[in-house]
Amino acid sequence: MNCDELREHYDLYALDIAEEPERGEIRVHLNRGCEVCMAQVKRSLGTAAMIGASAPAAEPSAQLRTRILASVGLEDRRAGWFPGWVSALAIAALCVVAVYLGFTGQQYAQTAARLRSQMREQAAQIAGLTEAFAILSGPNTTETSFGGAQPRPPQGKVFLNPARGVLLIASNLPPAPASKIYEMWIIPKGAKPVPAGLFQSQASGSAMHVHAGAVDMASTAAVAVTVENEAGADQPTTQPLIVAAVPAAPR
Amino acid sequence: MLPIFLAIYAGPEERALISRLQRRDPKALAELYDSYGRAAYALVLRVVRDRAIAEDLVQETFLRVWNRVHQMDSEKGALGPWLLAIARNRAIDYLRSSAGRERNAVELSETDHAPLYHEMEAEILISDQARRVRAAMDRLAPNYRTVMELAYFEGLSQSEMSEKMGQPLGTIKTWVRTALQSLRNELGVAVPS
Repeated sequence: MNCDELREHYDLYALDIAEEPERGEIRVHLNRGCEVCMAQVKRSLGTAAMIGASAPAAEPSAQLRTRILASVGLEDRRAGWFPGWVSALAIAALCVVAVYLGFTGQQYAQTAARLRSQMREQAAQIAGLTEAFAILSGPNTTETSFGGAQPRPPQGKVFLNPARGVLLIASNLPPAPASKIYEMWIIPKGAKPVPAGLFQSQASGSAMHVHAGAVDMASTAAVAVTVENEAGADQPTTQPLIVAAVPAAPR
Repeated sequence: MLPIFLAIYAGPEERALISRLQRRDPKALAELYDSYGRAAYALVLRVVRDRAIAEDLVQETFLRVWNRVHQMDSEKGALGPWLLAIARNRAIDYLRSSAGRERNAVELSETDHAPLYHEMEAEILISDQARRVRAAMDRLAPNYRTVMELAYFEGLSQSEMSEKMGQPLGTIKTWVRTALQSLRNELGVAVPS
């Protein structure tokens, strides 16, 4: 097929609803570097991106940012362990100083943006720790250990709270190899494992991962961790490194 | 309703951000999230309709960008549309996997190859455009809007739409074609035919 015959199918290709043989033809044209098809497909992908951007606005939780940075082994940097009002005061003081020193409008905007970003990071970090603390201190939280009987690491504990979620704390868990990531799984009784988020451990071998959300304790058999490819998997593809059996709920 | 894109990188800043991501600058990932995190989350949530799952998938999306950003040309790349394509594909993969229909699991990744997002119009995701698309979608006739949403947000093929809507395949194809043409007409220059 020539490019003109494919003209009506670029949008369908970008939406993943093009059918054969047109889909395959577009693929062939792209693979051989056809400039016409490349330009048209890019425009159609731009349209698709705009449709995606038309989704109703929604706000993720404050801790998602911290999770994402932590999952690639980065720390969500915070100003410190000061109370919130101390940070706010310090930021306000910095803003005053910045104005006093005669910053240009652009410099001031950059400084303000950086400070706002730091405040967001701090809030996200605190939210993550708060979530972990809520699980740890919850009256209905169940605790289970893993790795205790093994001569080699990793070792640690899993805390499950039916209303709050699952908290995993591990030590002696080396950072996953390049292009790999750790994935936590909640394993229901007699059913397939359910993905419970990706995380990376610190260089020291310590790791903390929170999966927020309700957990049906009665139907959960275990919590496990596997090594997966960078983007994670829908089902485990490797043997679990960590398996923490969930104790039966008291009658 | 707040616009999804309150901030967007212009050309030079976007190029600098890609370079910094490629150099593994930790602050660059934070900036990437601050720019596109809400949009990715809104899109994924619209697909999977579960906040916890949506956050997991957004996390996977940013991980994938972090690990594949070297495939993007820092002089030409358009991070936003690429990131949204990855987010959408992750979400649709999840939907299909959870529903036991993994038909296009491999094919979907075709549309998030980084080079396809080189030299893309920089203004494609500015908030005004997003609002225009949303308004244009709202103005589509219900049947046309439904097929666009089933295709983009639910990942249904035209045959699957035919089954779901109880309409002949030919009718669905006509609706899809007409819906796309209507969007083009509504958006004019933004979506060249």
